[in-house]
Amino acid sequence: MRRSLKLLLRLLRIQVRSQLQYPASFILEVLSSALTLGFFFLTFALTFTRFNQIGRWTLGEVAFVWGITEFSFGIMDMLFNGFDYDAFGPMVRRGHFDQLLLRPVNITLQVLGSRLVLRRLGKILEGVVIFGFGLSQIEITWTLAKVLYLPILSLSQVIFFGSLFIIGATTTYWTMERLEILNIFTYGSSEIMSYPMHIFPRALRMVFTFVVPAIFLSYYPAVFILSKPDPLNAPKFVYFSAPLIACAFLFLALRFWRFGVRNYKSTGS
Amino acid sequence: MGPIIQARKLKNDYKIYKDHKGYIGALQNLFDRQFSLIHAVDQIDFEIQSGELMGYIGPNGAGKSTTIKMLTGLLVPTSGEILIDGYIPWKERKKYVRNIGAVFGQRTTLWWDLPMGDSLALLKHIYEIPDQVFRENLGIFKEILDLDTFMKTPVRSLSLGQRVRADFCAALLHNPKLLFLDEPTIGLDVVAKQRIREFIQFINRERKTTILLTTHDISDISKLCERVIVIDRGKILYDGVLKDLLDTFGGRRILSVEFAEQYPTPNLSNAEIINKNGNKVTYSFMRQSVTASKLIHDLSEKYRIIDLEVHDQPIEDTIREIYEKQLLYNNNDGKKNPSS
Repeated sequence: MRRSLKLLLRLLRIQVRSQLQYPASFILEVLSSALTLGFFFLTFALTFTRFNQIGRWTLGEVAFVWGITEFSFGIMDMLFNGFDYDAFGPMVRRGHFDQLLLRPVNITLQVLGSRLVLRRLGKILEGVVIFGFGLSQIEITWTLAKVLYLPILSLSQVIFFGSLFIIGATTTYWTMERLEILNIFTYGSSEIMSYPMHIFPRALRMVFTFVVPAIFLSYYPAVFILSKPDPLNAPKFVYFSAPLIACAFLFLALRFWRFGVRNYKSTGS
Repeated sequence: MGPIIQARKLKNDYKIYKDHKGYIGALQNLFDRQFSLIHAVDQIDFEIQSGELMGYIGPNGAGKSTTIKMLTGLLVPTSGEILIDGYIPWKERKKYVRNIGAVFGQRTTLWWDLPMGDSLALLKHIYEIPDQVFRENLGIFKEILDLDTFMKTPVRSLSLGQRVRADFCAALLHNPKLLFLDEPTIGLDVVAKQRIREFIQFINRERKTTILLTTHDISDISKLCERVIVIDRGKILYDGVLKDLLDTFGGRRILSVEFAEQYPTPNLSNAEIINKNGNKVTYSFMRQSVTASKLIHDLSEKYRIIDLEVHDQPIEDTIREIYEKQLLYNNNDGKKNPSS
């Protein structure tokens, strides 16, 4: 276990080193990607001033969920990029995945260590700024539970998004190329989690409750931290289910992943 | 020493889907896909002794790569057994691959963005190679493969020849008992090929590493391997000494003649014209059926000759002829030794 961790760090360090070869251009890239992504929120915020609220949430409150979701997705997209099927698909097709299978190291760890995209710091930065803006606009009555829950929530989101990436990568074993439809779940989840989810039509909410349990990782925890009324009338324990849901989802994703690896070896496509 | 690789009734099938055409067809494909079953490898048996350097040859699509994939544990056979050094390759993957090395000529195992030397250092950690073994091996391999000049070059900037040499080094740093080579010299120039061949020989002789060499390049095989397996359409056509195979089918000789003038049909009995270009004609004949001196005598009686040359058909051509004319198929199926 310790050996694996050390090796993972070693693999990731290589990525960092090669991406920091040109520091100035790297910093510019991070800033420009933060700005580009930030504009999307800016236009949303400007439109928002026309309504003052959506579903009785203020702009600051939306910025709170928006920021934390962007932040977590950015962290995930940086660390789990080996499982991004835009990267993993070519890896399988070009036979690089076979090369990994020839090494005496856990295959999941090797895929995890195969890519780290430092540029995603742009999205992370954008998330932090929007989150900060949100905090500046709202009065939260902080309790110890809320302070502790916030980092746990972000970590749960990272795990949740990572699981979606793992599921996406696993489909590559059968299709050999990207399935656009999966974007609905990966990028769609992160989109939908950036808004107070009770505003969406029931059918859509059901999909993101029971098919992809995104609602437990954004809306319900936010209702608790922001002390908002819940028109969906969910029982209180649901507010705290984020880490549980995330871990269960990761467990299922890894089961599917292992099934995929086994299938890959028996078809050899 | 006993066999290190044993394969019994080894089989691998795969499906080729016949897709329906068009948009409606794409929908149909979801529910009703028709396929044909291809036997990439069809119930083959073979053994490789410890320390052997075995050639594994066959035309394109014969099943060579599929076999290598099964032997390296990348592919689970449809049926049949493989036992390699006490392991079943696709089970206990992590333990098994510690004992093997592999070089695929078309791919690299090295890190694209990393200097070659750093790539090798990373492999030291991946295989947990003791310091002393690593240093010693690297020292020897660097010298034979002449790696010193590009140790600091990123792998993406290496020439093909350099990259393959680096890959050979990478595959052997952990002292594997077995080495699998899949088209290792593809695309290399003569000098680079020679260096690689010397290295393969060195590893086989000095380290007693068992090597399975798959290649299109028959000159690799004829220079390195004593024993070969010939496979085509998933079946083993020949398993035995290379020399015997060539003696049986390689009796063909080539006679090139330059005539004083152009003759329309300078035919000879017992020899066929394989090329005619103006007054230069090339004949091919079987050593067993006629002698060169008899042919030359016949020719000089009828035509005026300026120059001529006789030589054996190159091994490459012999092997190609064995594939193309399916000479081995003329024998009884399942019979592994050639008989004339």
